[in-house]
Amino acid sequence: MKKFITRVRSALSGLLVPSISIALTLIVASVIVLLLGKNPLEVFLGFLRGSGLVFKPRYAGGQGILTDFFSYLSILTPMIFASLGVMMGLRAGLFNIGVAGQMLLPGFLASVFVGYSDLPTYLAWPLVIIIGLVAGGAMGALIGFLKHRFNIHEVVTSIMLNYIISYVTAFFINTYFADPVTRNSRPVSEASRLLIPGQAGGVRFDLPVGLVVALLVIFVMRFLLDRTTVGFRINAVGLNKDCARYAGINVGNNVVLAMAMSGMLAGLAGITYYLGFANNMVPKELVSLGYDSIAVAVLGNVAPVGCLFASILVTIFQKGSVYMSSNVGVPKDIASVIIGILLMFSASGLYIEETLQRLKRTPRSKRGAKTDTDKAEEERV
Amino acid sequence: MTETIVELRNITKRFPGIVANDDVTLDIRKGEIFALLGENGAGKSTLMSILFGMYEPDEGQIFVRGEEVHLTSSKDAAALNIGMVHQHFKLVSNYTITENIVLGDEPLKHFGPLSWVDLKGASKKIRALSLEYGLEVNPDDKIEDLQVSTQQRVEILKMLYRDAEILIFDEPTSVLTPQEIEYLLDIMEELRRGGKTIILITHKLEEIKRVADRCAILLHGKLVGVYDVATTTTQRMANLMVGKELDTTLDKTEHGFGEVVLDVSDLTVYNEHKVKVVDNVSLRVRQGEILAIAGVSGNGQVDIADAIAGLQHISAGSISLKGEEISRLSIKERIARGISYIPEDRQKDGLVMDLTLRDNLAIKTFDREPFAKKGVLQPEAFEQQATDLIERYDIRSGQGSQTMTRSMSGGNQQKAIIAREVELDSDLLIFVQPTRGLDVGAIANIHQQILEQRDKGKAVLLVSLELDEVLALADTICVAFRGQILKTDSAKNLSKEEVGQYMMGVTQ
Repeated sequence: MKKFITRVRSALSGLLVPSISIALTLIVASVIVLLLGKNPLEVFLGFLRGSGLVFKPRYAGGQGILTDFFSYLSILTPMIFASLGVMMGLRAGLFNIGVAGQMLLPGFLASVFVGYSDLPTYLAWPLVIIIGLVAGGAMGALIGFLKHRFNIHEVVTSIMLNYIISYVTAFFINTYFADPVTRNSRPVSEASRLLIPGQAGGVRFDLPVGLVVALLVIFVMRFLLDRTTVGFRINAVGLNKDCARYAGINVGNNVVLAMAMSGMLAGLAGITYYLGFANNMVPKELVSLGYDSIAVAVLGNVAPVGCLFASILVTIFQKGSVYMSSNVGVPKDIASVIIGILLMFSASGLYIEETLQRLKRTPRSKRGAKTDTDKAEEERV
Repeated sequence: MTETIVELRNITKRFPGIVANDDVTLDIRKGEIFALLGENGAGKSTLMSILFGMYEPDEGQIFVRGEEVHLTSSKDAAALNIGMVHQHFKLVSNYTITENIVLGDEPLKHFGPLSWVDLKGASKKIRALSLEYGLEVNPDDKIEDLQVSTQQRVEILKMLYRDAEILIFDEPTSVLTPQEIEYLLDIMEELRRGGKTIILITHKLEEIKRVADRCAILLHGKLVGVYDVATTTTQRMANLMVGKELDTTLDKTEHGFGEVVLDVSDLTVYNEHKVKVVDNVSLRVRQGEILAIAGVSGNGQVDIADAIAGLQHISAGSISLKGEEISRLSIKERIARGISYIPEDRQKDGLVMDLTLRDNLAIKTFDREPFAKKGVLQPEAFEQQATDLIERYDIRSGQGSQTMTRSMSGGNQQKAIIAREVELDSDLLIFVQPTRGLDVGAIANIHQQILEQRDKGKAVLLVSLELDEVLALADTICVAFRGQILKTDSAKNLSKEEVGQYMMGVTQ
């Protein structure tokens, strides 16, 4: 029991600094909104309403808060996968900036081979997931291999691959798979989409299947990184390559492995985006989610569970911004501004921690006298 | 000469889990060389960082020239004419000496609304200063082309250029060769003659004896006392510094050697710039033998060690361990066959600074039983080993096994590496510069460990730049010069002078 309490306490103290960062972000964002002449509370409420977390004043026919909420969850799913992908690269000391491209290729291949087929759901879903893992993983592994074998920087290769993927898929979409009306790719079959349509009280919604997988993957990643030899090797390589080599760890293999895993996670983000939240692809467009996930991974302190909470938070701003802007009248780009501010404050985490400690200490040194905690501290030393 | 220039009163500074300075009171007189002596982690650098404005003390007052001051940044310190040469230089490597010196305080020339940096004038001033104090530099050279000792001279000139009166040197000799140390100490005496006050942070007693007037000794953050250098023996200073009677004599028993453990023959190694760094080297180390490779830095000694451990590719020759050829095996396989390696650069190669002490102690064994079962780590086994090694090897750290290695002192980091490597129970132990940058207490401890391993029948390969260390420990001495072994002989047959001659490449 005692152990449990200390664990809870340490977990809570770990939450203190992020909470302060978030509070500071909301304050600064409020000031910006006030300068625009709008009510900040309305804006934040707008975000929550748009994400299906708070009731909207009215709904269109057949829609309700559950529609919005599940729609929020189905965009949250690829965000979780994408941020885990970025996290995995960072753990091995590599900056995978090409998540968007590693989402598009698996999404494209899954759409073409499964989405446009007549395969029933029980065959389509596993195939889609396998294509996501294999195509994403192969791209990641390629980047890792080029880094290790030829020392080509992963940022360069992943950006270049993004361009290649985006143009090559656009060519095929425009030539073979375009929808004559929208000029986007044709929608994939309902059977292949990773959603389960549902209905409750006359309200329609789609349950995202990928979310269950995402939550599972978070705990698998956590276990992998914290409790297995594979994770130990990747962490050591990411923190100090020279020492890892000296200790007998094969640096090259682990760089390729980490990037392959990063790519696999990006692949899962791709299929849950293109065959989940959306059902088609816009030619030549790389989704911004792929880039936002970098900020999310950093905000989540490059840890699996952190990525979950950061995704939940950031997705509220992204998903809710459309409703918020049409109802409150603040441009939806404010969402990007808020995420930027959030990132800045979370990057200042160490400074906040220092300041907190200084604030705790100041009254003591002014008094000059020693308090009980002081003495306890000295005894411990 | 007895005017007090700096006074520190009751300074206390705490860091998480550690009191770095505990109620320290000092006065430093104008125009003296004041030495600050203490073990690694005794609080010397922290105390001087406080005087230089990099940390604020939790308690206590600072007086400079009789007035109380509150220093919140190094700019405040500079305004009071306090300058500091850090252990790691703060120079921009692709700027010239002049540019580095004026950086942040550029002399400007004006022409109407335009202004530009007067580099020519600055360069002239620097040349004059360098002549005045005997600090030879060419102000137009780029930093990246300079040797370490010259870079240090630039740091000193930087202080002088800013009219510093109080000069703090943080372990200035740890990066220098013996000749360069002599030269630096001469410069310090020159500066004292010029009326400057010098504070010298060091743990090398000979240097203090040579130049310092007075010496303050710190132990575990507390001031032991301030001593007159002229009337205090080095043995007494050493004892005060470690807080106990220090036995610096090693008791080395004579015994025969066993079988050959390491047999290197005709080894040739090229480095990444395709330069031949090891040239046809052969050596053998037997059980119970300490073979030391002596030599001036950069003569291929470290490359020999790296090649044996598998960190460097070899282009010719063979390396065999207990009769088995290992030169084609991976690093991991060599560790498993029985090689322990204490590397030269403990922070770069020896440890992952941002992992805990516990993880670092297991970094070579984490995938073996009992640390991992079927690929799953066993934290209890990590913890058990850490607690055991911390206790047995006296590794001191703020938060025990969970301490981030980065926050530990250099001496304790080295103890952790040695604990880990000795625990591997390998037949061959390679020590490269095992006592670099450590204080006398830690050095004696490590020397004792090395001898213990020898007496247990292990083969020890020692690479050291300290001739005294080589002579004190070695059974057999090899002298490396330009990648070759110039001389191999039993330590009994070689005098210090002879080894010194071979180190300079003289062969009779």
